[in-house]
Amino acid sequence: MIAGFRAIVDDVGGGLLFLGQMFSTALHYRPKSHVVFDQIWKVTLNSLSTTALAGFFVGAIMTVQFTLQVKEFGALGYLGGLATSGTIREVGPLLIAFMLSGKVGAFTSAELGTMRVTEQIDAVRCLGANPFQEIILPRYIAIILSSFFLLAVGLFMSIAGGLLLGVVFSGITAEEYLRHIPTIVTLPSIVSGLFKCLVFALVLASICTYKGFTTTGGAKGVGRAVVATAVATMVGLVIADFVTTLIAEAILSMAMQA
Amino acid sequence: MIRFQRLVKRFGTRTILKGLSFEIQEGEILFVLGTSGTGKSVLLKNIVGLLRPDEGEIWIDGQEVSRLSEEQYFPIRKKCGMVFQHPALFDSLTVFENVAFGLRKHYRLPEDEIRTRVRECLALVNLTGIEQKMPAEISYGMQKRVSLARTVAVEPRILLFDEPTTGLDPVTTNAVNQLIFDLSRKLKTTSIVVSHDMHCALAIADRIIVLDQGQIVAQGTPEELKACEVPLVKDFLSEALEAGLEEGKI
Repeated sequence: MIAGFRAIVDDVGGGLLFLGQMFSTALHYRPKSHVVFDQIWKVTLNSLSTTALAGFFVGAIMTVQFTLQVKEFGALGYLGGLATSGTIREVGPLLIAFMLSGKVGAFTSAELGTMRVTEQIDAVRCLGANPFQEIILPRYIAIILSSFFLLAVGLFMSIAGGLLLGVVFSGITAEEYLRHIPTIVTLPSIVSGLFKCLVFALVLASICTYKGFTTTGGAKGVGRAVVATAVATMVGLVIADFVTTLIAEAILSMAMQA
Repeated sequence: MIRFQRLVKRFGTRTILKGLSFEIQEGEILFVLGTSGTGKSVLLKNIVGLLRPDEGEIWIDGQEVSRLSEEQYFPIRKKCGMVFQHPALFDSLTVFENVAFGLRKHYRLPEDEIRTRVRECLALVNLTGIEQKMPAEISYGMQKRVSLARTVAVEPRILLFDEPTTGLDPVTTNAVNQLIFDLSRKLKTTSIVVSHDMHCALAIADRIIVLDQGQIVAQGTPEELKACEVPLVKDFLSEALEAGLEEGKI
């Protein structure tokens, strides 16, 4: 129990030191833009279709669930607004981020872990280069930008999925579905959803690069790093969701009072 | 010149290097022999700063380097080239980009010059026409030679080889050993070779150090080692004899 707690504290401490080193590198060196764009292209291309699909079905599920609730009150006209609000502010970013953690997080962690155990990172250091500048920072920036973009695409697709199921499953027209979205889904709730996307992207990028970079122990070690990335990312995302929800709710209530 | 003074390296409760002290002269080829787990690779990694000693000092060209920060170590690493036990090629880059990596990092050379230098280095290890291949598309032996070309490309004054011939066929092994010898003699590089290969050490080393459990148990020229009575050294010598390789001069 104590050993487990100590390991977690060590891990968090190691992660913070890692991030400190990365931000220090970011302040002193500019990563090569073509390397960053190359990584953005890879991450986005690899995950765009799955993220869009996941977003579509998250929206569809939310619409089905809300249909069952609002039908009882004869308030189907509010279905679009309620389902979209719930998806954009809460469920959408979290579920799509879970999906991305499996796709982008596991891939990055395995890639960096393999580079570590095959001594590629040591080779970079021996050639007089800084691995944070050459390898980690470009990936970190790319994962944040790509994940933010992918999460936004996923949320947009969730509206499409909700709309389709609204028409097919709930029996309302597209116009009825869309009518109350602008009144319920206000600008602060869109900002709150996008803020969550940004925080989730940061959490994902930080955990997968850290776990990959600190891999030890050959092929088994890479396997362990990927599993650890998956677990830590899920836990990290849920905690980040809780914290961002509190912050977003506080901001929303302040905005409503104003 | 490289000098070690009472070098100690621990991993947890295990002490890997137990107070090593010795010197390597400029242009010398030093072989470090020993069984697995005796700290040979750890010794090399301490020179390039991939690991730092827990006690003791490492002097390179009159500078004590063991307490330098990562950034202060960059100029030291420019002097040292390390060939790893694994090829350690960057698998997302082509062979050309791998060899050019250090050149692009350290020298502002025109692209034509980089291309010429990369070709020269690959020719040095008997490789031609593979510049645009990815590391995964070439054999393990070729990868090791590309790794050697990448290290040599930046013209380091100190070359560190971590079991450079492990996993290579006899012909390539001889070629790599010949290359180590040639580089040392022509370019006056100082070479430290970690190996199990006593036959090769006897053939090209200026001096040999034998490590056992983190300590030096024997050292001297190949001729002196042949007369050594230390059991571990005798084991290495008899293995070379049994393989019928002991007389081989490259």
